[in-house]
Amino acid sequence: MTDPPLVCWSCHERTLGTHFCSSCGKLQKGRHGTDYYALFGMPRKLSIDLGSLEREFLQLSWKLHPDNFVNATEQERELSLQRSSEVNDAYRVLRDPVARVEYLLELEGARKEGEHKQQAPPELLEEVFELNESLDELREAKEAGGDLSTLKARLESAQKNFQQKLGEVDQQLQVAAQQWDAAIEANAGDSDRAAIKVRLNELLNRRSYIRNLVNNVAKELTES
Amino acid sequence: MGRIVGIDLGTTNSLVAYTDPQTGAPKCMPGPSGSTLCPSVVSLDPDGSIIVGEPARRRLLTQSERSIYSVKRLMGRGVADIQSELKIFPFRIDTTSKNVIRIKLGDKFFTPPEISAFILRELKNWAEAYFGDTVDRAVVTVPAYFNDAQRQATKDAGKIAGLEVLRLVNEPTAAALAYGLHEKQRGKVAVYDLGGGTFDISVLKLISTGEGDIYQVLSTNGDTHLGGDDIDNLFMRHLQQEIVDQHKFDIGRHPELVQELRKGFIQAKHQLSEKDHAEVRLTLPSGAVYWSGLTRADFEGWIRPIVDRTMIPVKLALADAHLAPAEIDEVVLVGGTTRTPLIRATVQEYFGRKPHTELNPDEVVALGAAVQANILERGVKNMLLLDVTPLSLGIETYGGAVAKVIPRNSTIPASAQEMYTTGVDNQTGIDIHVLQGERELAKDCRSLARFTLKVPPAPAGLPRIEVRFLIDANGILQVAAKDLRNGQQHSVEVQPSYGISDTEIERMLEESIEYAEQDFSERQVIEARTESEAILAATQKALASSTSAALSTEERATIDQSVAALTESVAGNDYKLIRKRIDELNQATTHLAELVMNGAVSTALQGRKLAEV
Repeated sequence: MTDPPLVCWSCHERTLGTHFCSSCGKLQKGRHGTDYYALFGMPRKLSIDLGSLEREFLQLSWKLHPDNFVNATEQERELSLQRSSEVNDAYRVLRDPVARVEYLLELEGARKEGEHKQQAPPELLEEVFELNESLDELREAKEAGGDLSTLKARLESAQKNFQQKLGEVDQQLQVAAQQWDAAIEANAGDSDRAAIKVRLNELLNRRSYIRNLVNNVAKELTES
Repeated sequence: MGRIVGIDLGTTNSLVAYTDPQTGAPKCMPGPSGSTLCPSVVSLDPDGSIIVGEPARRRLLTQSERSIYSVKRLMGRGVADIQSELKIFPFRIDTTSKNVIRIKLGDKFFTPPEISAFILRELKNWAEAYFGDTVDRAVVTVPAYFNDAQRQATKDAGKIAGLEVLRLVNEPTAAALAYGLHEKQRGKVAVYDLGGGTFDISVLKLISTGEGDIYQVLSTNGDTHLGGDDIDNLFMRHLQQEIVDQHKFDIGRHPELVQELRKGFIQAKHQLSEKDHAEVRLTLPSGAVYWSGLTRADFEGWIRPIVDRTMIPVKLALADAHLAPAEIDEVVLVGGTTRTPLIRATVQEYFGRKPHTELNPDEVVALGAAVQANILERGVKNMLLLDVTPLSLGIETYGGAVAKVIPRNSTIPASAQEMYTTGVDNQTGIDIHVLQGERELAKDCRSLARFTLKVPPAPAGLPRIEVRFLIDANGILQVAAKDLRNGQQHSVEVQPSYGISDTEIERMLEESIEYAEQDFSERQVIEARTESEAILAATQKALASSTSAALSTEERATIDQSVAALTESVAGNDYKLIRKRIDELNQATTHLAELVMNGAVSTALQGRKLAEV
């Protein structure tokens, strides 16, 4: 992959610098189409060394932060705002393991949230049905002013069950992420990669469904 | 360009500070009274002039209807937001104004940014008198938990005061900067900042790199309506009721008496930080004296719920930073209210370590602002602040729900892109509602702005408009839209939901100049001209007398030249040039001044100026 030669927006000379013009020293626009991985000079893998990610982040921030450009021209101030926000956005996404998977899939054009976001995964149907029933009963009992302790205990145990499932999904996600990284390292073929991406996407959808469920129950429990 | 100062625009007191270029140490500048604290009180004199600070604070007692304090509580808020506040504070509000708050002083109305601008202008004057030079740029601090509207209002206040606000810095972050410079601290730091009207907690990581120190804020939380004022209000209600019970007299209708009682209580409150017992007295119009004794134990019992309320944001901030209390290396206390022993003890117990209180809690925020001002002014880099946005930014979606696009505690500047299209054929606009807050429903979040994206007519779903939301380094929102089909930028007029428009700010700026004292340089020119008149008159008189015959031809020529030069400079507006010419004429007339004094006392007068003889 070779990039076309870059020309500085200010002095119109060719520049070799990544961030600043090698001729006039002015802050440069970000390269078109630079993704978050490329910004930090990292391969598109799912396991990331957080220590070196942070170091890269701090170094880029040091160079690009708007504080450096208070006395600079309007264009440079604007560029610094654009570029430092991009660095911050990239760091925010890449340091979070789940957001990272989501971002990678989007980058690869493989993120599909599913047509029925609110539909329960088939193997969970029965448990979700029971949980919703308990939630309804709790709401009714709350309105009627009845005894809530048995209902709450039942919900709490269901809550624990789903929290455990959330943990399981996270583990599966980790396994699939390792498979992705291995495929990248082995330079695996497109079909192998595609299969892993489908798997990752499924797990993300499943995770977000269960997490919503857990949050809703938690909300209902704290409000009663 | 003038100097950049750091300003702490506080609920109770405001301060202005600068960094000494020789020592590199930040320093608060005193006002005319010698104190560095400027009470955040504004009073409208019956003659129409504006009085700010300590003299205005005294007027709270005698002219309470023409004076206002704690205006920071009203910044960036709408009339509907402040109904509960109005029950407690003696703010007199224009009841006909539906949206923008207008405060009545005497018979005139002012918006909260205008009132704050009077305070900023006063501090600007302090700094100009201190430097002997103009000041037109400032770093101003705001509570970390201030939302977009409150930040915008603070920036507007700066503009109205004739100050370009180069950066809004969060108060706890500023305090951390001041402490970091002072103590060379490293590691994870929690800043607990309880001021007069606001509470903030920020968790920071101090990192040393090869190039310099980075102050990275990990999380922040708080309550913009929780502070020392709440302690005062709690007791005021109690004391006022006690007066009714004991003396069958309601001081509520006598604003002056209420202010006197408040003053008495605040004194007692301060005493209780040192002593175990204090008392409040108030002489009633009947001549009867109300008296109330307060023990520290009673006091602490009363304020415990307020102290407990501060611990909720503390826990949330630590949770967002993924840290346990024991993982915090240093705790810093900021804000006058943290002098309260109960607060110190509560914080110490929670974190399991003694909090830092070495720097004056009233001054530390202004000192930190001066540090940041110095970084921006000199461009000499050995420090970088990375702050966060305190509240999540969201967009209203179908059914009144909120989709978060920038989560709270994101490092700023931060941005998010959203794609929009149309739902029906030939739709010409897409309504967008931007909100700030953590709740799931739009009605429970803070409305920041509503705007309509203009779309060229096209079949439904065909237009593709990318909207970019950007929170800048001040924590203020910017919106830009781009039509992806033709790459055209759309301009997006974002009218803040409770803000004031740019044209209104312009008008306020003009009006504020009428109220304000003359501009610094104007004042300097007038003073310099007056002085030059005196010296020119004295010179003419001396030259006309017989003593001038003793001058040498050269001396006479130099004096004539200096007189001409000074006369010429007085016609202009450059006070520095006028001063220079005055000095030159003084030099040229030293011998003449001695001659005038007739020899006898000339030795005692050596070095005196002609105008003084």
